Amino acid sequence: MEDVRFKLKQSSPKRVLVADDDPVMRHLVTTMLKQREYEAVVAKDGREAYRILQTDSQFRAAIFDMTMPYLEGLDLIRYMRSERRLMRIPIMMISAEQDIKLMASSFSAGAAAFLPKPFTPDQLQSAIRMLLGNGSSSRRAA
Amino acid sequence: MMSFDQVTNNENAGSNPHPLAPASASGITSDAVDLELLNAFEELQLDDGSDLIVELIDLYLQDVPQRVTEIREASIETEWVLLKRAAHNLKGSSGNLGVRQVAEICEKLERMDGHDSPQTVADLVRLLEYESAMANAALAAVRQRRLG
Repeated sequence: MEDVRFKLKQSSPKRVLVADDDPVMRHLVTTMLKQREYEAVVAKDGREAYRILQTDSQFRAAIFDMTMPYLEGLDLIRYMRSERRLMRIPIMMISAEQDIKLMASSFSAGAAAFLPKPFTPDQLQSAIRMLLGNGSSSRRAA
Repeated sequence: MMSFDQVTNNENAGSNPHPLAPASASGITSDAVDLELLNAFEELQLDDGSDLIVELIDLYLQDVPQRVTEIREASIETEWVLLKRAAHNLKGSSGNLGVRQVAEICEKLERMDGHDSPQTVADLVRLLEYESAMANAALAAVRQRRLG
């Protein structure tokens, strides 16, 4: 059993899908991921992220902005939760909205974490640490 | 000099096309950018010789003119959805880099709709343009100092 878990952990891809139409946010999140030796696969809007997800499911996690052109973060979560090959990937939402209802909507749609903007570097680091740590627990729960 | 709240809440502010114009004579304002917040991102710095803060400033300065133009055009055309989206986006990156006054104005713009007078919206957009120019100048100065 220990061996199987070890192999699962080893085969877990060190790639994270990042979708945000804000270049500053994309760069911040990408830099944070690089620090943790993760590769960021970057999408500039929701549609681009959707297209990537149609052919690629090898992600340890996904980080989406709530408000993006074409497809919003919530749309992406709902799509991922409806696809067997994507439904185990933990998702974090980032949003400048302070509305508690939106946060609740994210969690009920299937987000594992929610990071409101503006955030400090510490808050970003903690959220990403939690998200990437969540990957293995989500897999176990699924 | 009028405070931010005085300008944004003053019904008569629209009679002056540049309500904060006198302040521009003093050049870069010390409160245009929260440097403590901006500098906090140094802890995410990679050991690859790059300067994360300079990179963030460059990305922000490249992006802001387009966002402000979108906001101005959307306000003129009373395209509230586009206005809200552009203001929301600018609010997010501005807030994170410590450009608080721009973020606060964007938050007010996000709440604008057909119930607000065109003059109120136009005043806020002008204030945004002014504060954004001040913040951009402050960020450019920070960038210059970091590059030595």
